[in-house]
Amino acid sequence: MSPRQRFIRKIVYACVIAALLLPLSWLSQPETTETKGGVLAQMRSEHQLSQAQLGEIDPASETIKLATLGMRGVAANILWTKANEYKKTEDWVGYSASLEQIAKLQPNVVSVWIFLGWNLTHNVSVEFDDYHDRYYWVIKGINYRQDGTKYNRDSPRLLSDIGWTIAQKIGRADEHLQFRRLFREDDDFNGSRPLAQRDNWLVGREWLLMAEQAAARGVAVRGERPVLFYSHPVMCLVNYAEDLEEEGTFGEVAKNAWKKAADAWTELSNRDLPTLSNVAVRLGDKEPFDEKSRVAQAELAKLTPPGLREKIEQEKLATLTDVEREARETPDDRRSKEHKDAIYATVEKMQIPHLEIADRITGENHAAALRAAEEATYADLMSKLIDIERDIVYYNYWLLRCQIEPNDDTLEARKLIYEGDQAFNAAQLVKSRDLYVQGLSRWRQVLDAHPALLNDSSMTDPLMDSIKRYRSVLHQLDERFPQPFVLQDVIDADARFHGPSLPTSESSGGESPGENADAPSP
Amino acid sequence: MVHETDPVLFSDWIWPSLAYFLQIAVVLGLLALVVGFLVAAFRYGPIAGGDVVYRMVRTGLGDLVSISPRRVMALAWLAVQESLRRRVLVGFAVFLLILLFAGWFLDTKSTSPVTLYLSFVLTATTWLVLLMALFLSALSLPADIKNKTIYTIVTKPVRPGEIVLGRIFGFAAIGTLMLVVMGLFSYVFVARVLNHSHEVEVASLKSVPNDSSGSRTGRTSLSQNHRHQLTIDADGNGSTDIAQGHYHNITARTVGDKVTYEMGPPEDLFTARVPAYASALRFKDRSGQGSERGISVGNEWKYRSYIDGGTLAAAVFTFSDITPERFPEGLPIEMTIRVFRSYKGEIEKGILGSLILRNPKTGRTSQLENFQAKDFYIDSRFIDRKLTDQTGKPIDLYDDLVSDGQLEIELQCLDGEQYFGVAKPDIYLRAREASFTMNFIKSYIAIWVQMLLVTGFGVMFSTFLSGPVAMMATLATIVMGFFKQFVLDVAHGAVLGGGPIESSIRIFKQQNLTVQLEPGLTTDVVKVSDRGFMWVMERITSLLPDFRQFDNVDYVAHGFDIPPEVVLVQVFTAIGYVAAVFAVGYFFLRTREVAR
Amino acid sequence: MSSEVVVETRNLSKVYRDFWGRQKVRALKALDLEIHKGEIFGLLGPNGSGKTTTIKLLLGLLFPTSGRALVFGREATDVSKNERLGYLPEESYLYRFLNAEETLDFYGRLFDMPAAVRRKRAAELIDLVGLNWAKRRQLKEYSKGMARRIGLAQALINDPELILLDEPTSGLDPIGTREMKDLILKLKAQGKTVLMSSHLLADVQDVCDRIAILHQGELKELGRVDTLLKVRDETQIRARGLSEAAQAEIRSVIERHHGSVLAMDNPTTTLEELFLTIVRDSEARPGRRAKQDS
Repeated sequence: MSPRQRFIRKIVYACVIAALLLPLSWLSQPETTETKGGVLAQMRSEHQLSQAQLGEIDPASETIKLATLGMRGVAANILWTKANEYKKTEDWVGYSASLEQIAKLQPNVVSVWIFLGWNLTHNVSVEFDDYHDRYYWVIKGINYRQDGTKYNRDSPRLLSDIGWTIAQKIGRADEHLQFRRLFREDDDFNGSRPLAQRDNWLVGREWLLMAEQAAARGVAVRGERPVLFYSHPVMCLVNYAEDLEEEGTFGEVAKNAWKKAADAWTELSNRDLPTLSNVAVRLGDKEPFDEKSRVAQAELAKLTPPGLREKIEQEKLATLTDVEREARETPDDRRSKEHKDAIYATVEKMQIPHLEIADRITGENHAAALRAAEEATYADLMSKLIDIERDIVYYNYWLLRCQIEPNDDTLEARKLIYEGDQAFNAAQLVKSRDLYVQGLSRWRQVLDAHPALLNDSSMTDPLMDSIKRYRSVLHQLDERFPQPFVLQDVIDADARFHGPSLPTSESSGGESPGENADAPSP
Repeated sequence: MVHETDPVLFSDWIWPSLAYFLQIAVVLGLLALVVGFLVAAFRYGPIAGGDVVYRMVRTGLGDLVSISPRRVMALAWLAVQESLRRRVLVGFAVFLLILLFAGWFLDTKSTSPVTLYLSFVLTATTWLVLLMALFLSALSLPADIKNKTIYTIVTKPVRPGEIVLGRIFGFAAIGTLMLVVMGLFSYVFVARVLNHSHEVEVASLKSVPNDSSGSRTGRTSLSQNHRHQLTIDADGNGSTDIAQGHYHNITARTVGDKVTYEMGPPEDLFTARVPAYASALRFKDRSGQGSERGISVGNEWKYRSYIDGGTLAAAVFTFSDITPERFPEGLPIEMTIRVFRSYKGEIEKGILGSLILRNPKTGRTSQLENFQAKDFYIDSRFIDRKLTDQTGKPIDLYDDLVSDGQLEIELQCLDGEQYFGVAKPDIYLRAREASFTMNFIKSYIAIWVQMLLVTGFGVMFSTFLSGPVAMMATLATIVMGFFKQFVLDVAHGAVLGGGPIESSIRIFKQQNLTVQLEPGLTTDVVKVSDRGFMWVMERITSLLPDFRQFDNVDYVAHGFDIPPEVVLVQVFTAIGYVAAVFAVGYFFLRTREVAR
Repeated sequence: MSSEVVVETRNLSKVYRDFWGRQKVRALKALDLEIHKGEIFGLLGPNGSGKTTTIKLLLGLLFPTSGRALVFGREATDVSKNERLGYLPEESYLYRFLNAEETLDFYGRLFDMPAAVRRKRAAELIDLVGLNWAKRRQLKEYSKGMARRIGLAQALINDPELILLDEPTSGLDPIGTREMKDLILKLKAQGKTVLMSSHLLADVQDVCDRIAILHQGELKELGRVDTLLKVRDETQIRARGLSEAAQAEIRSVIERHHGSVLAMDNPTTTLEELFLTIVRDSEARPGRRAKQDS
């Protein structure tokens, strides 16, 4: 090669390098206050990677990533396999060490933090027998995920998961009394947080609210239904109030806690929640929609000529098959299998939509009828959508609870039962019996005011436990269970939910189910 | 610590292993002769070929006899010079960097930082030294051949065996030097990093209720991510509880009317227990009948067997060689018992268990010794020599319970529907305390042995492969060595997913391991060729060293003395392999035209 | 010169094959040679003629495809022959990170020499090759000429009986070349046998007793240098200070004896001519073998 050729070649190389640099700079231009930066910078901020800012780069994580020389996938795979092996052989020191390494290797995969953190809080912790150890691993799992937020700022999923774990794992585990106590005493986790706020529900709620704020900044909430996502912080307040009472705090503190919970529900009622049907609904809007529908239907009825509805019904009846007609005419309890199969289609066929009626109205009323029918249909649909969302979070029940719990009657009833339980545990049987009697009759008042409470086993279950303890007290005092019993409706309701465990009002009464019934159910 | 298999006794191991070694040597030697003859016969005709093979063997034996230590040392010295030239110091630099930044990679909130740090430094040292041995040994000879510097060597009266041996010794010397320095650094590093102290949080001190002696409890400050609970007596002296595997002593000092508490360094941080394990473990089922194993609570890991509480079920550990000379005061027992609850029971209380000592001959037993099981912790108890039997009569451990040095310890779980899980190494007598430093050195011997093996294989491969290829081959040996059991399992078909071809197909098709391949000709072909592959794999792998066998990290990290027997077995295994690679390396270098 | 044969090749052939065993080059074809004790034997030939291959075969660095190579009556592949042999490779393939003393000490140890002997020997040789001033320097700092010298020193470390020199003067300046030649003659004077290869005719001509001319792996000429160069019907006259008249007179004397004057200026290197003739001849009629000289 001649020197001339060599020189030309060098020039060509230089040009190629320059040409390659251009797209590179376009890709990697950093984010500034004025511009959004290059493609990489934009992607970084789109995926909430902390490393968008230079000062936030974690040297350890970067070194580990570098050290794998582009074999990150292989390295991660090996570490996961190793972690599984450690878990199998119950080597928890090795296990948690590998989890740290995995996280450093894949710091921007939120599900890794969540999955492995869950493993620590839920799977490793229960391997230990001592609840102190269990608590240690629960906190370790939480700390692990908290580390994850350094790499994934504004991930609603991760933040929400942390909040949920602090709230639910500590507050709902079998050992929740011990866990909650340890949590209050945990200076290392809580730092300078004042004692009154060291409640797992309140701390969990802080994280859940952070998740909400992240979502408010426009980060999509993935993997969870919005209504659930927003209900968690509210439920934290509810659970907080419940646990206060469970642990013997009543009076103003409990009252305020319940009121706060009620406020939170109201707030949630007014929040626009996206649903699967691509419409945003508000939980509190059901009643207005129902009212709207009622008005529109009345309007439609007014415009409907007499006999039209019956006529349509006759027409529809004519389209039914023999079996369907039979099924329709046979009472529910006497339907054959064939009938039962057919009945859904029959009901469907026999429905008369508002719009169908409006369509059949002719003349000057047609337009007005159509409008009313449309309004009613829309209102019905919305009401139904809201119902679906409400059912998911048990809206009706919790709203009712939040309304009645702060009442003095309810508070007093709960306090008396609690004191009765305490006396029972301290083997002060007479005192316990008296407190139970007072408490149960207080409950009578509450239930009379809010009979809807009996529709739910979450309400009746704790009451049934108290009733059983009361029975046990009576038994030990050699006294008979009073007939009629003041909360017989609770026993009946419980029998509906779980089958009879105590004599219901339908059974003959007395002591028939025997001694077993006296033992508190496990 | 977990021993999935019984530790090997050197005396039981050496003869069968030696026999196996010789057997393999004879088979491979004959195979080499036959193949050598066939090749030579093909080249020079049968008679000349036979002559070539005969001369090969004769001079081979002659060369073996005439190995000169001075020449070997000269070549070793050259290898050392060459290594220094190739900047092995880079390895040190990397090592120091790793130590400096170890904190980044380690879980500082671990329950057992000692375990973690020791495993870390030992593992890091192992990998670095192996990597370095790999680079040095595999590249040296090919570079010499490529640079033709080998011409001036082989035209001297140097035997090929001396070249191989000189290289192995030289690189081993460099590796040894590196290990010594790395070991010193690691030791200082771990000791310094883990050394810490706390302060007594005076505000937390509370007097013990129902205690008139004036002792108080409290807690220490947070240091290295943990704190201790402490108990001090009326004078202010006392100690902390055990957290992260150690405790501190506290002494009070009064200056004027001010009391200050001084906390000592961590005690029992570095240990090397010498356990005397039970010679046998048998179980009794719920009705008290003997059984091979206890019951399973559904764990995938079958290591521990469980006994049900509140029944006659028991785990009986038989100890041998219990003598007053070994345990004059009584028996220091340590136990790790897994607890499995079938219902939550009383959360704040541990599950109750009991220990009974029994004379295996006379059946005489001691009074029950009750305890609350500490899941995942080593529970140390001391059984005094003076005991009482079940009627409350005083008895002597050695006079009444031990016969012929044998003693049975029976473990039972007392709470009904709850379970205890044990394996044989879970209850042992802490016979004595060995020196941690010695233990640390022993763990380095294991690394040294691995380094020697890698060096040997590297040199051997480099006698007939080019540098990069020799390196890959050595690397493959290491990787196969670390996954030997897995590869053998694959070869035996014990691993789901089939052989190499089948699993490649599965990866390509993203198919689950348990899904059957579609039956048909392709599948048959794949299966048959896989079987061929697996046969070859099994033969080759079974010849390679099992590097896991040289892993002593767990012993040191968990504070157990490495039994000298284990070290002996490791060293002898290595000697066997070095002898083998020496022979193979000699053969290849001998038959090689170095000037090509 | 004794009649004791130090080096002998019988029908020695070497074929280079590629990885698949296919023949690539026939580097040496049926070479028959005998080198006697005490002589300086030169292998002459252009690059790729088989000189180096021959030396490598004699050293056991290569294995013969057929035929035999014997050194001191033993197979060339026998390591023990190396005890009495010294070899200077074509280029000094030495360890560049050692200095001169270390190098000689190292090679001395390969001969199993005791430390005291090594030290003495190394000092002598460093003196001999004139590197005393640079003996503590690493070889990588050596010039090519210095590297040749230390190479020669290592070849002599064991006071060998037979010395194989592959292109001993390559890379040396004229003075270095002269010194090397003197050294070779000195070795001969000590009774050593020297086998050297070269493509430089002048080297061979000056020092060798006998030469073999190789071309394309075949032996073309073999014999004593003086015999090979003697052209029987030619007489060379060299004189100084002759006048034109005297020259004319000499011419007339030659003519009177029925001779003819071919040239009367500076004489040509006749070995070069012989060599070129052989090469030309060999290319014209490949396969012609050399006659054994008597």
